[in-house]
Amino acid sequence: MALPKRIIKETERLMAEPVPGINAVPHEDNLRYFDVSIHGPAQSPYEGGIFRLELFLPDDYPMTPPKIRFLTKIYHPNIDRLGRICLDTTGPPALQIRTILLSIQALLGAPNPDDPLANDVAQRWKDDEPAAIQTAKEWTRTHAMT
Amino acid sequence: MSASTATASASLSDCPRPGRLRRFSQLRAYTQTLSHSSSGGHRSRNSLSSRVPWLSPSSSGPESPTLQVGNSTAPGPESDQPALSRYTSAPTASSHGLGVDTQTSSAESSRSTPPNEPTQRSTNVMARLRSASAVQGRPPRTIALARTATQEAPTSLPEPTPAATDAPESTGTIPTDAVQVTAVSANKKATIRFFPYQDTFQSSRPSLPFVPIARTLPSESSVIRVGRYSERDGIPIPNPTEPSDAPVGFKSKVVSRKHCEFIYSNGQWHIKDVGSSSGTFLNHMRLSQPNMVSRLYSIKDGDIVQLGIDFRGGEEMIFRCVRIRIECNRSWQQQPNEFNKNTESLIKNLGKGDGADYSGCRECSICLGSVLRPYQCLFMAACAHVWHYKCISRLLHQDYPMFQCPNCRAFTDLSAEVDDSNDVVENEEAKGPTEATSTNDSAEVPAGTQPAQATTTTSVEGQQPTPLEPHSEEPDFVTDVENLHLQDDNDEASGSGIDMEDGHSSDFPAPNASNDDLARSATISIPGFQPTQPLNVPAARQPHLRADTPGRSETSDDNPLTPRNDSGPLAFDGRAGMR
Repeated sequence: MALPKRIIKETERLMAEPVPGINAVPHEDNLRYFDVSIHGPAQSPYEGGIFRLELFLPDDYPMTPPKIRFLTKIYHPNIDRLGRICLDTTGPPALQIRTILLSIQALLGAPNPDDPLANDVAQRWKDDEPAAIQTAKEWTRTHAMT
Repeated sequence: MSASTATASASLSDCPRPGRLRRFSQLRAYTQTLSHSSSGGHRSRNSLSSRVPWLSPSSSGPESPTLQVGNSTAPGPESDQPALSRYTSAPTASSHGLGVDTQTSSAESSRSTPPNEPTQRSTNVMARLRSASAVQGRPPRTIALARTATQEAPTSLPEPTPAATDAPESTGTIPTDAVQVTAVSANKKATIRFFPYQDTFQSSRPSLPFVPIARTLPSESSVIRVGRYSERDGIPIPNPTEPSDAPVGFKSKVVSRKHCEFIYSNGQWHIKDVGSSSGTFLNHMRLSQPNMVSRLYSIKDGDIVQLGIDFRGGEEMIFRCVRIRIECNRSWQQQPNEFNKNTESLIKNLGKGDGADYSGCRECSICLGSVLRPYQCLFMAACAHVWHYKCISRLLHQDYPMFQCPNCRAFTDLSAEVDDSNDVVENEEAKGPTEATSTNDSAEVPAGTQPAQATTTTSVEGQQPTPLEPHSEEPDFVTDVENLHLQDDNDEASGSGIDMEDGHSSDFPAPNASNDDLARSATISIPGFQPTQPLNVPAARQPHLRADTPGRSETSDDNPLTPRNDSGPLAFDGRAGMR
């Protein structure tokens, strides 16, 4: 199947105007598959870390949202052990790769333990936030700074 | 395969893989010529891996300001909206939709003018109009844009014209907005709509499906009771055309007979649990203990209300909980505003080939292609977002007759009766002066109809007494026409006076004026040679117009920007209730 114009356009724009702190590069052999890296936002426990993600645009994109997963281990209440992300932004087709990645970056800056995906992390976040943040920082140091 | 013919560099070949790849790298080469020259050597290389250096903070640092500019120009107003909105719940209903027009104006104003006093003030005005919470995310963004505005000049970005032409418009429209908001709050009718909400998150079960429900309160003191559907209440009407506080029933066993109530007071909608057994959840917070009455909680557009918890896993329909997405305070979207007026002008100028000065929705958010080219099938939703029909058609048929705008998540009932009362614009003060002046600009309109129109608008405004009575005799008509012409002149003068006051004059540049002509020719279809008709029009139309207004405005709330405060999907597999 030919690559839809939309994907070409989006990729073109991602290249022409990258988002600061976010990098998305399509694979040479599969232009629907992107290697993504997101910088941990400043003043968050993830500051200084560079988090790798994979992003895949399904055949039906943009009618179905992209599939995104964290490859780098991360301690975050809305991201589970497998790197799946709890984000309700992945809905309507008006969203683009760019906007979804920005939402994910924002999610790093504002963890939401009330809406958890990783229950244990969320519980810890609620019970003892400083400790949870400390763990998140440690994980960032060990996994996201290499 | 259609994609293959499309891109600039697509002339290459259509052989599947390598051709595509080659085209793609060409694209990249093309985009790099667009990106400004100072970005250094590593950018000019084409291999994908060379892109990785962007990652390093050192290289992304200096580039970021210009990139930000590009970010805000190219993908169109709605596409990058979530970037600046609140965090995890970025593009949820209201914030997303509102962002569309707030952002166009604020971004434009800050982009086109250097960061100076007026700009700041104008954004502040916007900020005050919208609710504080929605604005939270915006100031930094605006500042960032302002900062970059100065840098935009040297960089050669592909879209310099819109920024330049927007300048007068964006500064002028903010007061207009204010006028409109006050106008809205003048007609008090509280409307709320309930839509089924399905969690997009995979692991949660579907909630009870139901037909969207709308209620317009007959009086401020009425209460909408929500509970289990009962045959005894009769067949419920989901969408009564008249104001109604009929109770809302859901066919689910987890909904108590008296479950919760929606109350409107002081321009704000509230919800209250009235002692349900399985709970009412507002953005997954339980309002009260079982069988206890809760206090009032205020609700906003986009909030999610859940009634009860799935019982027995919710496998049977009758045991599913109800999840409602609230829509209220959306009246700003049904009124003329900068965004939808722009879109209107887009539609009207489509065949004229020039979209350069158009600042509204120029891009189909689904294929990212331009909607400005004439002779293509378009679909415009009530919220004035536009797509190619081909692109949007799947969404149109998906939940027909309900349609949710993918850009702003506003719901529309596509099967609703066509509202062919064609004078929406005239009860709005802002439009009056423009109408008058634009009429004078265009001398081609038949003489009889033209002044009639002008007087209609002025009489609505209350600018001057209208001596005009409906006449049916020929001689009177002649004198009337003369009067009208005089009046018309006065009107022009007074109109421009108003313009000075309200700052309206600047927000209707040439293209809009020509639209008004079009609008008029639509409203008054009678040629000027039928003397009685045009004169009767204003008199006849006026009461009708008045009667029409209340139904049109949804709420009297001044806070159109009330985004939902939760930030993510509801986790409703029973965990919510246990917490």
